[in-house]
Amino acid sequence: MKTTSWFTLYKILIRTSIRSRMQYKFNFMMASVLAALIQISEFLMVALVLHKFGAIKGWSLHEIGYLFAIMTLSKTLYRTFGNEVHHLEKYLVDGELDQLLTRPMPVLLALLPQNFRIMAGEVLQGGFILCWSLAGIMHSGQIGWTVIPLSLLVILTGAVILFSIGLATATLGFWTTRIEELQTITEDAARTAAQYPLTLYPKWMSGILLTVIPVGFVNYVPSLYLLRGELGAWVLVAIVVVAILSLVASLRFWKFGITKYQSTGS
Amino acid sequence: MLYFTLASKAYSRNLQYRGAHMVHNMASAMFGYMYACLWIGIGTDHSLGEYGTQGMVSYIAFTQSSLWISGFLTNGLGIPLTVRTGQIALDLMRPVHLFTHLMAREWGQIAYQFVYKSIPIYLLFSIVFSLQWPSEASTLLFAAIGLAGASYLSICMNYIIGATAMWTTESSWLHWGNHAMMNLLAGFFIPLEWLPDWLERIAWLSPYPFLLYVPTRIYLGYANGSLLWGTLIWCVLMTFVCLAITQILRRKVEVQGG
Repeated sequence: MKTTSWFTLYKILIRTSIRSRMQYKFNFMMASVLAALIQISEFLMVALVLHKFGAIKGWSLHEIGYLFAIMTLSKTLYRTFGNEVHHLEKYLVDGELDQLLTRPMPVLLALLPQNFRIMAGEVLQGGFILCWSLAGIMHSGQIGWTVIPLSLLVILTGAVILFSIGLATATLGFWTTRIEELQTITEDAARTAAQYPLTLYPKWMSGILLTVIPVGFVNYVPSLYLLRGELGAWVLVAIVVVAILSLVASLRFWKFGITKYQSTGS
Repeated sequence: MLYFTLASKAYSRNLQYRGAHMVHNMASAMFGYMYACLWIGIGTDHSLGEYGTQGMVSYIAFTQSSLWISGFLTNGLGIPLTVRTGQIALDLMRPVHLFTHLMAREWGQIAYQFVYKSIPIYLLFSIVFSLQWPSEASTLLFAAIGLAGASYLSICMNYIIGATAMWTTESSWLHWGNHAMMNLLAGFFIPLEWLPDWLERIAWLSPYPFLLYVPTRIYLGYANGSLLWGTLIWCVLMTFVCLAITQILRRKVEVQGG
């Protein structure tokens, strides 16, 4: 099959997925509002502290808001398209992956559109905090307009990095079957940690967040250059390279992992 | 006796997953460690009131460990799931009151989480951050009462959230709303006195401070046992609400599946 036909097929699968999700409109609306609320409550927690004490290790509320917003939006982009990678455990435990394996298409292409997730709440909340923090930092004259398009690039590469981390973690499920506990560490804890400047943590921990689980490249490293003028423009090249390398490595790992798949279904 | 059996069954069911839970404990400890690092970072430039940096680290260590007995309970005490499968109709027919039945099961769950989650996480923090333990037995006793009250309050809150699944087809949004309120009003990350005035006042009108803030203050020796009166009042109030809700539930049962 040609690449264009794969793409058409992907579009059809996504459309079907959206249609099925929209059957419960009230649920969708409530879930979106609550998702935004819980995200905001998490940010408010830190905002209240910063409001009381001022900067944390030289990072202002607006700057931390930027770290937070980039992480939220990158995660949202990853989960919109790749939600089922995060929920692979369900497929492994129930044996649902068997059905996907029999389809005449790559497993990932069959898996990803299973549940296309519209995350309106996260987009609203992340977008709002991003605009608010950018406006704040611009107002102080610290950055110029170019940061806006560059931020979009950062969100995109960030989503690719988060997807790669998610895919690599999910792949481990081919050996362990259960992955949820591990995901809490590699996805949730790592992502939450990177919502704050990595200088807060001891060296070993920030080291891990830049190499083993490279969440630092999603928001922290690019912000050093974009917001604070540290490092240099090469940072932008570096995040693209990290994103591509992570993606290639995780896809290869996935391909290898799937050869080890043993059905657990009935 | 029946309630004890229900609780011990819930406890032993969990024992099967000890291995997986240990991995989860690592994640939970990481979250606590991260929050502690944040306070250490803030503490380098600011004095942190009566707590000081070490005090705030102890504060975070205690709230993070307590989360497992007053925060992370079974979503809606499992009611949403039984509504979906139709099991709720059978549960309501049992000669045991639904509230006490589910509560007994949850106490087993809480006991398990206390032994296999709260204690290991707190011990780990004790070593990593060289935490001081209370020297007086009365402090420990009052803190334990505060925590038990917090667990009970949380059971009631989850029961109410679960019960709404009967009418809304989906109660997970209330569950998440509750979680958001815990973040802000229970003093999980910020001691309540550092909230803006109006928010602090709202918090004290709700049961949330009694879930984490009150037991933590008592344990760390910043408050005496008199705060426990508030816990008691909320426990009584919540019990009435839960009983009233069960009455309404019995009259109108709606199942989604079966």
